[in-house]
Amino acid sequence: MADNQNTKFEAKQGTVLGWLDKRYPLVSTWNEHVGEYYAPKNFNFWYFFGSLALLVLVNQFVTGIWLTMSYKPSAAEAFNSVEYIMRDVEWGWLIRYMHSTGASAFFIVIYLHMMRGLLYGSYKEPRELVWLIGMMLFLVLMAEAFMGYLLPWGQMSYWGAQVIISLFGAIPLIGPDLALWVRGDFIISDATLNRFFALHVIALPLVLLILVFMHIVALHRVGSNNPDGIEIKKVKNEQGLPLDGIPFHPYYSVKDSMGAVFFAILFAFVVFYWPEGGGFFIEPPNFEPANPLKTPEHIAPVWYFTPFYAVLRAVPDKFLGVVAMGAAIMFLFAMPWLDRCKVKSIRYRGLSFKLLLAMFVISFIILGYLGTQPATPTLTVLAQIFTTTYFLFFLILPYTSAREKTKPVPERVK
Amino acid sequence: MKNVFLLISFLILSVSSVAQAAGGPAIELEKANNNLRDQDSLQRGAILFSNYCMACHSVKYMRYNRIARDIGWSDDEVVAKMAYNQAKVVDDVQTRMLEGVAMDVLGTEPPDLSLMARLKGPDYIYTFLRAYHLDENGNWDNSALKGTSMPNVLEGMQRHYAPEDYEQAARDITNFLEYAGEPGKLDRFDLGWKVIAFLLVLLLLTYLLKREYWRDIKH
Repeated sequence: MADNQNTKFEAKQGTVLGWLDKRYPLVSTWNEHVGEYYAPKNFNFWYFFGSLALLVLVNQFVTGIWLTMSYKPSAAEAFNSVEYIMRDVEWGWLIRYMHSTGASAFFIVIYLHMMRGLLYGSYKEPRELVWLIGMMLFLVLMAEAFMGYLLPWGQMSYWGAQVIISLFGAIPLIGPDLALWVRGDFIISDATLNRFFALHVIALPLVLLILVFMHIVALHRVGSNNPDGIEIKKVKNEQGLPLDGIPFHPYYSVKDSMGAVFFAILFAFVVFYWPEGGGFFIEPPNFEPANPLKTPEHIAPVWYFTPFYAVLRAVPDKFLGVVAMGAAIMFLFAMPWLDRCKVKSIRYRGLSFKLLLAMFVISFIILGYLGTQPATPTLTVLAQIFTTTYFLFFLILPYTSAREKTKPVPERVK
Repeated sequence: MKNVFLLISFLILSVSSVAQAAGGPAIELEKANNNLRDQDSLQRGAILFSNYCMACHSVKYMRYNRIARDIGWSDDEVVAKMAYNQAKVVDDVQTRMLEGVAMDVLGTEPPDLSLMARLKGPDYIYTFLRAYHLDENGNWDNSALKGTSMPNVLEGMQRHYAPEDYEQAARDITNFLEYAGEPGKLDRFDLGWKVIAFLLVLLLLTYLLKREYWRDIKH
């Protein structure tokens, strides 16, 4: 595709750009990451979710900043201030719903983004670091969402946080002191709310931003994977440009813009007509102010935590449950080394991988459902079964992937 | 294609079901069928709320002038009809019960009702208001919330009104409380389709732009 439109910039002497570029690597940065960043030409639907994650991040930053202008991080005022935002602040309801919907949208986008990585082997050599940084992003995002959920100071905010922080208490020896240290009090209180606010609006967003930057830099070093799992850098033309690559700008910038608008339509539909998301995006008990003396009948974490919550509850011992929950996430970090098959894309992989991945995805979804439900004996047994199949994916994969009967991978992208 | 199915099932599962998990009431809820756009109903509901509920309950996140503006009253009307001219239009809608009295008389603090419709749903409020019945000892009980401390405030209507008038009164109060739960709800509904219509146009333009640029990519 050497005849592609190329948006390489040159900084001419005597222009503003020339002046700037002499003092700051403006042009080379643009070219390296946008104008001359060659991406495979065969991206499909799954490849929208990276840029969409960035879009949702920006949405959370902007709406979050505006919420902070009216929100009061104190146990006495937090709940009132959220209602003040919903009722009295100009466009407050819109900003708040964009932020609360954005949190759920973030996880939908991220889970699909991670699914893409699993489908097409994007975690494999040479992209292990891209995957690891991405997994760190996922961890920090979960912490960010968890702390943000306490801030409205509703019943579910309060008791959800109570349940999760008490998990630290299950760690032998240091547990109780650690939980006390995290809370800053013997129960969730004003002190907890204040520190969660600080972490939610300053510390963790800063970490997220740095990790997103590193995620993209690491990706651009090795280049993007694609649905065929072919390394486009292997086949280059005489100028050294990948024959199956096209510059990110304008090709993918216009394509991703279209994806962003399509996403915005779905997002707007939820914000305007379904902000509670059927009790998933905003849980009804959270419309009652936090009350340390009154435990809700059923405490369910927000939907994006429920698969891991179901793993936690499936294990009879509390501490081992915490360990299992941690392991459910940690195993994902190890994917680049657990999967020993050289072929990346599911399109050219053997039946064993397809079955295993299907088992994993189904387990994850069913665990997610079970995590929203009260732990009845039947549902607990189900949770134990699907926790087992969830982990079996990681345990069987190293064995089968090394022996997998794969299809030949083409040299070039079709 | 398989991917698309996976995606769809993922999306459906990630958003459907639940909700009933949040400690449901003992009985089947009746549909309130209230209509937030019915201003007459909202006005009746506000007056009924003032006459029958505010002796114990508040809607403290509402102010009188906001109610007036939203349901079609003047400032003078709202304080006359809801507060017997005993409040200022900028006041929050507080209960008329003096502090501490509720604890002595009822043994509990009547909750603020600003967010009751969001907490339990309008159908619950409608059902609850009409679920009072005499138990075997001749005392009032409520089948939606057994042993509630709340007396059957609509008893007079229940006994003497035509059933449909009694139902309508409960519906009007429900309507007012759904409004109070999120006063901006109709603004939200009215703005949403405009935003989506704009985005649809933008989608068409970005699609055409994408198609134009991608013309020279062979694949």
